[in-house]
Amino acid sequence: MTTAFETTAARYQKKVYSFARSLLSSSEEAEDVTQEVLLRLWRHQRRLDEERLGSWVLRVTRNACYDLLRKRRAAPALTKAESLDGEDAREIPTAEPDPESRVQASDFRRRLTDALAGLGEPYKSVVLLREVQGLSHREIGEILDIPEVTVRVHLHRGRKKLREQLREVYTP
Amino acid sequence: MTRFEELRCEEVLDVLEPWLDGDLPPDEEARVRVHLDSCPSCTAELALARAIQSELRSLPLPDCPPEVLERVRRARGGEVIPFGQPERRTSRPFRAALAAAMLAAAVGASVFFLPPFRNEEPDSEEVARAAEEARYALAYIGQVSRRAGLTLRDHLEAEPVRP
Repeated sequence: MTTAFETTAARYQKKVYSFARSLLSSSEEAEDVTQEVLLRLWRHQRRLDEERLGSWVLRVTRNACYDLLRKRRAAPALTKAESLDGEDAREIPTAEPDPESRVQASDFRRRLTDALAGLGEPYKSVVLLREVQGLSHREIGEILDIPEVTVRVHLHRGRKKLREQLREVYTP
Repeated sequence: MTRFEELRCEEVLDVLEPWLDGDLPPDEEARVRVHLDSCPSCTAELALARAIQSELRSLPLPDCPPEVLERVRRARGGEVIPFGQPERRTSRPFRAALAAAMLAAAVGASVFFLPPFRNEEPDSEEVARAAEEARYALAYIGQVSRRAGLTLRDHLEAEPVRP
């Protein structure tokens, strides 16, 4: 029988895992972080406001990832095997573009994910939370514990950095 | 007829994504549009910003392997509490009484099981064994402290989300 906790855990585990995997560039470590976050969710479930659970879960995820990154002493760039355009990217339904367009598109995506991986904090987290996880500025501010206006500034700088790195490879 | 003060390219480049998001006030949005209509360079930059945004938003979120939830279940010893339902906890007086009983039992056991007091120097083997036990105890204390630290941080993290 599925309990209410399991339903809640199932609702957040994909968000937690994908965010952790993007920050850590490691599926194994992302699994460990997800497990740890879900266990903390278990321990603290009585004290948490269910409406803002999503922010809490991602804040704990971010902190757990930062702990791991600090242990590594340096956050390396996404490896090709672990980058966001890895095996999962092939599952996106497309309108069957011609081979040349397909090569260009995949190259653009690869360069984009490489640029995102090397973006550095806090820009990387802000861009991931906004563009990939689809969160509002307010939610991102809660997760990263920064004012909403700072979120907008970080987002602007992060996006600008991505544009600077992709300008050469982009063909309209 | 109202004439807009023309924006410079660097001003437009600063607001491309907010413009795409529809976050700009109507008058500023109109000024950006006027500039874009006559500036191929900024229009190209807008196309790039749009492509990046579109690509990022279409990135798939990788699925979390189902084993993770299973590991969570196992880590909790198979016991699952429905969300929002308070955990069962022993009362404070009961825990205090239990601790006192355990302490008394430990003292009593030491009287019966510890070797009689010897008024002589320990040999090197005994010293080595004692040192090993001390290292183990210190490592254990360190582990417990680390867990306590994490728990404390969890509590602090949980505080801001209270209404």
